[in-house]
Amino acid sequence: MRKLLTLTMLAVLTVLGTGCATMFGEDKQKVVYHINYNDEKQLNAALGNVKNHINAIGKDKIDVKVVMHGAGLDLLKIANTDLNMQQKVIGLKKDGVAFQVCNNTLVNKKMDYKNDLFDVSKADIVPSGVAEVANLQQKGYVYIKP
Amino acid sequence: MNQEKRYSDEFLNAFVDNQIAAEEKSRAYVEIQRDEALNRQVCELRKLHDLVQLAYREPPAPPAHAASGPDSGRARLRFGVAASFLLALGIVLGTQIRIPESATTPQTVLTPDPVAPRAVANVSSRQSALPTRPSKAEVAVASEPVQTAVAPTANLQQAPAGTTAAAPAELAPIAAQREIPANAQTKVLIHLARDDATQLSQALDDIEGVLKHYRNIHLNAHVEVVVNGKGLELVRTDTSLFAGRIQRLQREYDNLTFAACQNTIDRLAREQGIIVRLLPGVITIDSGMAEIMRRQNQGWAYLQV
Repeated sequence: MRKLLTLTMLAVLTVLGTGCATMFGEDKQKVVYHINYNDEKQLNAALGNVKNHINAIGKDKIDVKVVMHGAGLDLLKIANTDLNMQQKVIGLKKDGVAFQVCNNTLVNKKMDYKNDLFDVSKADIVPSGVAEVANLQQKGYVYIKP
Repeated sequence: MNQEKRYSDEFLNAFVDNQIAAEEKSRAYVEIQRDEALNRQVCELRKLHDLVQLAYREPPAPPAHAASGPDSGRARLRFGVAASFLLALGIVLGTQIRIPESATTPQTVLTPDPVAPRAVANVSSRQSALPTRPSKAEVAVASEPVQTAVAPTANLQQAPAGTTAAAPAELAPIAAQREIPANAQTKVLIHLARDDATQLSQALDDIEGVLKHYRNIHLNAHVEVVVNGKGLELVRTDTSLFAGRIQRLQREYDNLTFAACQNTIDRLAREQGIIVRLLPGVITIDSGMAEIMRRQNQGWAYLQV
């Protein structure tokens, strides 16, 4: 009986430990920025929002993903030629921001991510931008549409 | 007639509690047998006694435990500690794991919105009309009684299926998909806030894209598209530029719901005298904004396209 109790306690403590670890271990704020428009002013403002957000929290304490689909892919298209936009993207990437590109859009618009978009690798491509935004929210990311 | 004086309440209580000497008890028995009033009184007391016994059946247990051995105190302490750990564990897990509310309390999700049924005008057996996947069949069945029950209340904002230009006769009518499968792994609310044709077309691309994606990866997901304000034009029979496409999407994906904001519909009637007729299968919700908040509180993902 006593052995059983001890074993139960140990098991409970282990589970409890893992619970605490997941609760307190990861104190990063998780945010997903959703971009599906191509108005340049709006895009610049959106990237400004992201930068301000990171500055406010501290780049080590935040995990930002920018998910682009539809017209939003134009952000990286513009960054290909517009140096101002390009600098912003580079700066944010240095801060740890991940820019994710919707494959549905690439297919629909017959875009070539290597040539048409700025600095996109295969790892940045997600099958569906909308599904990715939903999926990230399920993982605890806070949704922001700037 | 003086028995009641002879037998005081204390005595009778003691009698019922079996706390008097056998000799006196047998004498009392004889008296009680003889006197009806006394008999009734004892009977009442006995009933009360039994009720008390019943209510306090648990407490007498601890003394038995305490007497079981010298280290029973430690055992109890260990139980206490284990119990508090379990409690703490429960709290931790509770904060960590967000069980989809539909899994635990399906009725909250399945409860039809008070205004939702209004749009249900032409509902027929969807599962017999369409070769839906087996997992969906039960949902369709579950939703059936609700819809048929409220069908007579369908009001004039809903066009009868026959008057909608875009509904080809050979196709089955589109059922309103308000009931969300309790086992849906992913629930997504898409707020359609655009109004110009290009943007709406793009938004429908997005919606179709995500539905196709979920189908490809075999994810049991539900997508609800909320339209309000100018966006309502998308699902009005007289203004929709994409009636055919919407109906095709509804037929192709039974996990897709279009939900129109009743506030907007009322406002159009009030301010512009427009009696809104919705495309078949489009449901109404009390308020688009309220729906967005409600769904997020229920753990849905939310996107504005």
